Amino acid sequence: MISSRVLKFLYIALIALTTLVYLGYLLVYVVYAAALFRWPFDYDQGEGFELYDAILYSRGEWPYRDNAAFPFYASNYPPLFHLLIVPLLPLFGAQVAAGRVVSFVATLITAMAIAFAVRREIGGRFIPLLGGLSFLASNYVYQIGPLCRMHMTMVMFETLAIVFIARFDHPENGRRHLLLGLLMLLCAGYTKQMAVFTVVAALSYVFLRDVRRALAAGTALAVVAGIIFWGLNIATDGQWWINVIQANVNEFDYRQTLFLFGQWFRLHTIFVLLAVGYLGYELFWGRLSAYSLWFLFSLGAGALSGKWGAGFGYFTTAVAASSLTAALAMGRLLSGARGAAAKSVVTLLIPLLYLIQAPRMLHLPTSGPVFGPLARVLGVADRLVQGDCVTFQYHDAMGYTQLGHLLSAEDYAAGERILEYVRMAEGPVFSEEAMFTLLAGKPVVTNPTQLLNLYKNGLLDTSEMIARINRQEFGMVLFRAQFYPPPVLEAIGQNYQPVDHVCMNGFYYRILWPRHKLGGKAPLEAAYGDE
Amino acid sequence: MITKRQLGIFVTALGVLAIVGIVAVDLIGAGEWGGFGPLQRIGVGLGLLAILVGWVLIRLGDRPA
Repeated sequence: MISSRVLKFLYIALIALTTLVYLGYLLVYVVYAAALFRWPFDYDQGEGFELYDAILYSRGEWPYRDNAAFPFYASNYPPLFHLLIVPLLPLFGAQVAAGRVVSFVATLITAMAIAFAVRREIGGRFIPLLGGLSFLASNYVYQIGPLCRMHMTMVMFETLAIVFIARFDHPENGRRHLLLGLLMLLCAGYTKQMAVFTVVAALSYVFLRDVRRALAAGTALAVVAGIIFWGLNIATDGQWWINVIQANVNEFDYRQTLFLFGQWFRLHTIFVLLAVGYLGYELFWGRLSAYSLWFLFSLGAGALSGKWGAGFGYFTTAVAASSLTAALAMGRLLSGARGAAAKSVVTLLIPLLYLIQAPRMLHLPTSGPVFGPLARVLGVADRLVQGDCVTFQYHDAMGYTQLGHLLSAEDYAAGERILEYVRMAEGPVFSEEAMFTLLAGKPVVTNPTQLLNLYKNGLLDTSEMIARINRQEFGMVLFRAQFYPPPVLEAIGQNYQPVDHVCMNGFYYRILWPRHKLGGKAPLEAAYGDE
Repeated sequence: MITKRQLGIFVTALGVLAIVGIVAVDLIGAGEWGGFGPLQRIGVGLGLLAILVGWVLIRLGDRPA
């Protein structure tokens, strides 16, 4: 029989160790975010376009445009994330850090909302704290949290919506909670369309408890969302519908979905099992909460991850939901334990479960005075992620990933080299990434994945684009992944010649110059002119 | 307020519809039985799970869902 003093010592030691581990993950996250705030170029595909959308809004212009006309650019996302960046533009300038800060802060708010909800339901400090920190410790949240992308802002609004809706039947301020929850759902949907799963989860919860209020709330939400939708479509001459709805119908590969489900489960095993267990408990023995329903419906978002262009980011809502419900499950285990012995076991089990989960999500830089020795101690110093043209000094339990690593001095030098080409080019630059053209003060030309999506759906007239390419009106073409419609790539191949390729951030960037400017000269000599 | 029985009926109906729909798509699309692909097997599996869950919920009666 273990004495109560020993048990107390064990409990304190486990609590301290678990908190230290998850605060360690928070530190890694902050280091990564700080590195991205300093990086002026695109880190992930599309970040520069999100910033450009914010710039257009700040000028009073719509980003939903005719892609067939120069500059062949349109946004394929709803506006709210971009509008949140606009007030930061006077502070940051036209820098992608503005959007990265918005997204990073959104993840912190999400973590705090999770902690708040857990504490509201079960009390205490340790489990609510770990509930919030476990969200930030996820590989998925870590990698895309500080990017200038709208996904984590959507997750923030979704989380806030569920936290409010969970109290819609509060005797004193239930109405306020319901209205705020509906407002958050509206914000989530107009941040990214995928929030529809959380909308269904939230309204399903209200429906289970109060059919009339659910129908009224759902109708009100649909009417308001519909008016906004209709207004946007009218204001943009139908380009809103084409770019945000029709263009997002992509090819689907169920094998990608299955792979990502397996990866998500492997990385977040304990949280997923606890969340599933909690859902089962509420379904058969208790009453379904908004949180469990949210977890269930978030799997629907994960199911869409097989769409072309989608990825593990589609599981971040499920990560938030499972972090929250796993914490609630732990609280339920604790409150349900009968007798001193059972309570002792469960009290020790809770931090142990978090500790067992922690290494499954391992991700950290592997170089530097702090992370280098730490990576060696953890045995991952030589298990690095391989990019296209460089080995990242970074380990991630996910295996291969394009995100998460820190930038190097070589990356900065490469970025400046590419930027020099862009500045030197005469006329607009046909670029697969927007930050180079934005930083060079040139117009943003093309949103390649949007063009490809529209082309595949038979919604893009490429004639003007190809005509300009054939006339070699663009001073330069910059490729990374070459996500353009095939006829466009063919035209570029006939009129532009590769002059350089630069390894930056693990990817090869290919610089192509108009053939008429090369005129028999060596590519670099022609590219640099008479300098 | 929705009861577990009512929720169970709804979930069971969803499961049945899913299975019927998956089979019907195969029959209507090809005009003859073409066999099940992996996606259809997954869909039928989820449909059967829904029917099982729904059946248990129905037996739980009028308790609030």
